[in-house]
Amino acid sequence: MSIDLLVQALLNGFGLAMVYVLVALGLTLIFSILEVINFAHGEFYMLGGYVTYYVFAVFGLNYFATLGVAIMVVGLAGVVAERLVFRHLRHKTLNAFIVSLGLLWVLQASAQLSFGVLDKPVPSAFSGIVRGFGVIMSMERLVVTLSAIVLIVALYLFLKWSGPGRAMRAVAQDADAAALQGVNIELVSALGFGIGCALAGGAGALLAPVFAVSPAMGALPVVKAFIIIIVGGMGSLPGAVLGGLLLGCVEGIGSLFMGSAAVNVLGFLMVIVVLLVRPRGLLGA
Amino acid sequence: MRIRAITAIVAILLVAALGAPAVAQEKTLTIGVLGPLSGGAAAYGVELVRGAEMRAEEINKAGGLKVGNDVYKLKLVTYDHKALAADAATAANKLVHQDRVKYIIGNAVGATCNAAQTVTEPQKVLFAFVCWGTANLGPDKPHSFRIMLSQWEVAEPFYRWVKEKHPKAKRVAIISPNDTSGKDTNTAVVKALRGLGFEVAADEYYERGTKDFYPILTKMLAAKPDMLDVAAAPPGEAGLILKQARELGFKGLKGWTAGVNPVTVIGIAGKEAAEGVWSPANINVKSDYVSPTVRKFGEEYERRYREVPGVIAVANYAAFDVFTKAMQAARSLDTDKVLAALTGKPFDTVWGKLVLGGKETYGIDRQFLYPVVISEIRDGKVVDIAQVLPAALKK
Repeated sequence: MSIDLLVQALLNGFGLAMVYVLVALGLTLIFSILEVINFAHGEFYMLGGYVTYYVFAVFGLNYFATLGVAIMVVGLAGVVAERLVFRHLRHKTLNAFIVSLGLLWVLQASAQLSFGVLDKPVPSAFSGIVRGFGVIMSMERLVVTLSAIVLIVALYLFLKWSGPGRAMRAVAQDADAAALQGVNIELVSALGFGIGCALAGGAGALLAPVFAVSPAMGALPVVKAFIIIIVGGMGSLPGAVLGGLLLGCVEGIGSLFMGSAAVNVLGFLMVIVVLLVRPRGLLGA
Repeated sequence: MRIRAITAIVAILLVAALGAPAVAQEKTLTIGVLGPLSGGAAAYGVELVRGAEMRAEEINKAGGLKVGNDVYKLKLVTYDHKALAADAATAANKLVHQDRVKYIIGNAVGATCNAAQTVTEPQKVLFAFVCWGTANLGPDKPHSFRIMLSQWEVAEPFYRWVKEKHPKAKRVAIISPNDTSGKDTNTAVVKALRGLGFEVAADEYYERGTKDFYPILTKMLAAKPDMLDVAAAPPGEAGLILKQARELGFKGLKGWTAGVNPVTVIGIAGKEAAEGVWSPANINVKSDYVSPTVRKFGEEYERRYREVPGVIAVANYAAFDVFTKAMQAARSLDTDKVLAALTGKPFDTVWGKLVLGGKETYGIDRQFLYPVVISEIRDGKVVDIAQVLPAALKK
């Protein structure tokens, strides 16, 4: 096997892993603040895809402006979901789990009824191929990967340096202590849920031109996101990035040696090994 | 006043009772349609349902289906099995035991057919489908019919044509979903390729619902194929494979042995990546190769659904036509009698005179046979370029 093929396989894995990290970051952010595992997270990813379809493919808005619109719209949808449903289930993990499963079906069925069941193609925003060092990547995937990295860095800076970001971290560490310091828990919950969903929406918007959009498009990314956050450590942002990189690496290299069914199992094997050796995940608190 | 009312009611009842044997009674005939109506293979299910809907509506508008002395309004009951075998078995059980159907006209995806047949065959339910796979037809499944050409009829004449027209193409890479349909398709394609002297550069499978084909394509394209065949991939996934193969630098010939709706592929893959794709299993309803009935069906379909129908819609429309004609010929809805009528004489269909064959491949003549038309995507349009005959039809 040539080195070029190996590097190409790694590049294939890493590129998309960065987008799945975005989905995973949203999941882990929501879990940190509300202790809610949102199984309907993939449906917010799907919503981001459909916003992109209508705003970019149908109405012809600029691609990056569309990405901004998708993030805003899905973020608002997340805030609405938090206020109507998840606020009442904060720290009730099991109840929230059941409700989020219900929400998953409701959103998916609504999408089928509203948008139809067939894949909707979204034209490529960037054409051309980038070649170098014996590997190849489409310009579209390169832009998508870089955009995902920018969003990850932006989230990190927001959480690290902004007031609302610090409030979120405080609530994640100890909600009661944060409330005693004057942090508005309800506002932080809504903001956290909204940002978490916005990240999923952004990921959906980024991948819409790459894969087309359909009502069931959220199923795969959310599975990958769960693998990433379990491997990286529930609630850990650097852990999610590390989990994503590991998953991309394992799947990329694995695909050279085995069929796609076996490759899909590799992620779950990774989860089992990590849970046995380090149950909190690699960087979990 | 009261006596008058009672007299009137008695008179009405008498007229109804006396009149009944003389006029045809209108009843309802429920026919089941199965299919994947969501997920990656949803395009198949949608076409199946639409084809069935259109023929059923035509029959109902014309006054219903006259079978013997009875006239039936057709009613469709449709279930989505999401291309999952377990869901298909559940749906078939519902259709047979809950909705009491004796006819299921429409299903796609091989594994779901196998699952549904565990219900339909013991109950003698006549089952028509477009599923691909040798296991779906056989002497042990006399009530099952394939209403569209499968890879076993298409692959050999298609690659014979490729060999004649493009003799420089030597190495072919094939990719299909990792299930019964996919495995059977690749098996048929590999057999045809080896029989004709091609080399099989890659013979790969992916899980249905896959969106990212870069990993598997990286491996396939490293084998340097002259031609890529997205064999049994449904339109959405075939489009993604072709798009991503182009992104990874593939510039060779492209085929889609089981391709059923190139128009969808153009939408997903984009014009450039879809350019030059040959599909021998499709039917182009706007082509000169098809009958006026198919062209008319295509126009009506496009008017109603604002999409161009693929071969599955035409096949299910034709199957509805054939099965209902067989019921009329049998003058009964008893499936044994209808089965005898179906296999006993030829019927005029949108394909022309219906030829049932396939005994050499499946051990029983339950395969609808008609000529293969090879289409090519040129500048974003589907153009028919050749017609070849399946070996079974040549005989």
